Amino acid sequence: MSRVQRYQAIAVARLRLRARTLCAAWLALAGPVQAQDLAGTSPAGDRDLFALLEHALPARERGFAAAAATTRWWGLRELETRAVALGGSAGALRVASGLSQTGAPELGWTTLALAAGGVTREAGAAVRVVTRHDRDQPWSAARALEPQSGLAVGAGAWLEPAPGVRVWASAPQMRARGQPPPLDRTLELGVRAGGATAAWCTLRAPRANDDGERALGMVLALAPFEAWAEVRDGPLRGAAGLRASAGRLRVGARADAHPVLGETLRVSLEWLPGAGDEP
Amino acid sequence: MPALASLLTVALSCAPASHPIVTEVYYDAPGDDTGHEFVELWNPGPGTALLNGLRLEAGDGGAPGRWTLRWIAGPGDSLRAGQRFVVGGALVTPPPQRTVSLELQNGPDAMRLVWPDGTSEVVGWGTHEYAEYSCGEPAPDVAAGSTLARIPDAAATGSNAGDFRAATPSPGVANLRTVDAALARGRLVLEPAQPSPGGSATLGVTLVNAGVTAWGLDDASLRVNSELLGTPVSVVAPPLAPGETLLVHVPLASLLEGRGVLAVRVALVGDESPANDSDTLLTRVGQGPLEITEIQFHPAASEGEWIEVRNRTRDALPLDAFRLGDRSGATGRVEAGAMLAPESLAVLAQDPVALLLAHPRLDPTRVRRVAPWSALNNSDDATGVADVVTLVESDGVPVHRVTYSAEGVVSGATLEVADGNWRPSPTPGGTPLSPPRELPPTPGGFRANPRRVHAAGETVTFAWELPWPSGRVTLELYDLDGHRTRRLAGPVESGERGERPVNFEALPPGLYLAVLRAESSEGTFTRVTPLRVEGAAR
Repeated sequence: MSRVQRYQAIAVARLRLRARTLCAAWLALAGPVQAQDLAGTSPAGDRDLFALLEHALPARERGFAAAAATTRWWGLRELETRAVALGGSAGALRVASGLSQTGAPELGWTTLALAAGGVTREAGAAVRVVTRHDRDQPWSAARALEPQSGLAVGAGAWLEPAPGVRVWASAPQMRARGQPPPLDRTLELGVRAGGATAAWCTLRAPRANDDGERALGMVLALAPFEAWAEVRDGPLRGAAGLRASAGRLRVGARADAHPVLGETLRVSLEWLPGAGDEP
Repeated sequence: MPALASLLTVALSCAPASHPIVTEVYYDAPGDDTGHEFVELWNPGPGTALLNGLRLEAGDGGAPGRWTLRWIAGPGDSLRAGQRFVVGGALVTPPPQRTVSLELQNGPDAMRLVWPDGTSEVVGWGTHEYAEYSCGEPAPDVAAGSTLARIPDAAATGSNAGDFRAATPSPGVANLRTVDAALARGRLVLEPAQPSPGGSATLGVTLVNAGVTAWGLDDASLRVNSELLGTPVSVVAPPLAPGETLLVHVPLASLLEGRGVLAVRVALVGDESPANDSDTLLTRVGQGPLEITEIQFHPAASEGEWIEVRNRTRDALPLDAFRLGDRSGATGRVEAGAMLAPESLAVLAQDPVALLLAHPRLDPTRVRRVAPWSALNNSDDATGVADVVTLVESDGVPVHRVTYSAEGVVSGATLEVADGNWRPSPTPGGTPLSPPRELPPTPGGFRANPRRVHAAGETVTFAWELPWPSGRVTLELYDLDGHRTRRLAGPVESGERGERPVNFEALPPGLYLAVLRAESSEGTFTRVTPLRVEGAAR
């Protein structure tokens, strides 16, 4: 082994040790945040267009991406979300924008989201900016930036300390101004092991009136299908999803079951970046 | 030996030999003594004793020689062997052989019998300064309502203190009976206190063996008679040893509606004292003429507590014939005023002036003061009960009784009865002198109004409509992610339709999901409605 190779081996070993330590610290301190306005049907840890807009976790793949999704929260017709998103890349840079509308005019809001970040083969980080405007008032881009409109800024990052292992942290509401977001979203930490077939766990930090949240899940890939399931506590409940791909087109569905509130159903349609288009 | 015993008795007796003796002196009745005082004589000898010329005198222990004649026996007065002779007031029961107003003093005083042959017997009570007012040490001065009785009836210890002690008055019967079943007076209890017509109840009777002989199973029986019963009820009394007391539960079934007297009597073969065998309880089966329709137990302003009542009858009612109280049993009198018309509402208030200031449109003739007011509790005890509002007639007969819980009732809200169910009133401050507001249908089964509120303490009214006539309802709040944030109300009993105002103080802004969870014997019912709470960013 050459000196350079030895230094590289030592560096990789130190990097893995730091990553493990960091992961353990994250798991000890924090807790999963459910996406809201721009939610997809992917399992936790996936880095798709919605993950960039909602969690500030950029995709490694390059190229143009588009997605659309609709969600019916807890079976309530008056609480539905419709979202569209577009994304692209330039070298290591990843950008995305999204627009969504949630709820009846009396209750709901319109969301405009922008996210930008950078990726390498083993890491990625991004920031997101979200502005919300109540649906009972006329919407315009200028109004969306007014002080009384809701504005939230967040950031996220992921790291692959070892082949097949991915850890991430997402703080989607680091700063907020104006009308508060509909759900207080605290720091989320996650770790996922495996390839297309994988398992993960996530932790969300406590917020007012709860003690955080813990989730465990796994995804089973059998091309062109993927099926996944996840259990969460506080209260104990589950979620399951199914996705199918045809070329760059992917459709997905997700159902979250709650012992009291019922079910949240979500479907999505995505145009994916080209396979293998990585930095 | 019998001769020796007789000799000893004569030697120690305060009474002259061969004469009847004093066995009971009742000189201090509760309240006014007039007509209640009596002196009982007993002839322990084998033959008839003639009383002609016997003098009964009262002694004033305050100074020597103060003896006053109260009664003198006539030629026809006599006492057969073993019999008793009562001299007393007109109110003595059973009536005495000779009616005399004795006017005996409460101690230290005395009475004495002076026989024609010059012999006498003195009975003194209290602490005496002069020896002439007692035989040996005087008897104790007994409390009002108790009699000074010779126990046993032939006691002869050589002093009044040794012969006499306090006892329950028993004119005309032995002080220490061989066979005597008795009822403890004033201790009849009906449970429930106001049973439903056609329903059943249990009458608690305190039975006492006041004799010196135990009785066995089937020896004694209890009989309850009343116009509230189709037929009298009899039960066998359990065995009881001398001096023992036992609570006996008598089941009463198929009760007839109305107000009436439950008369209880204990029967025992050979009972020597019929006077203590019976007791009565005045009670009611079914609803009374007034019913409680609304309760304000925690007024938000200074209008004081108040209770709304309704005249259920077809006749006008005088409200001052009723008393209002709480769980403690204390009641206050309703002030007099105009009669309450049939089907009309009235308010019984702690402070009518303050209530009329808070509700100036109320008819003042139907707002009455209750004094003293029994303050109603604002929080539940360990059994989930805050207090009990009781309405009784002036003689104590139950009229209406409402047990309530304060859980989930916001300050200032009243409890009102609607469609037979108690609920927090949806009208802030209540609806005194007005019927409850009818709740409109709730499409979808559950809704919030308004659905968008500000975080700074705005009130949201939740309305629901159950698929059953009644159920037990809980309101909860979840965040958009499905975490339970807080319990808003309940579980509370609800009719088919219900409302509950909830104040959203100190709730972080966001989108929430209000959940109605209802249960009944027919199943469960869950509905969710969104609620937006606005506020500044955290």
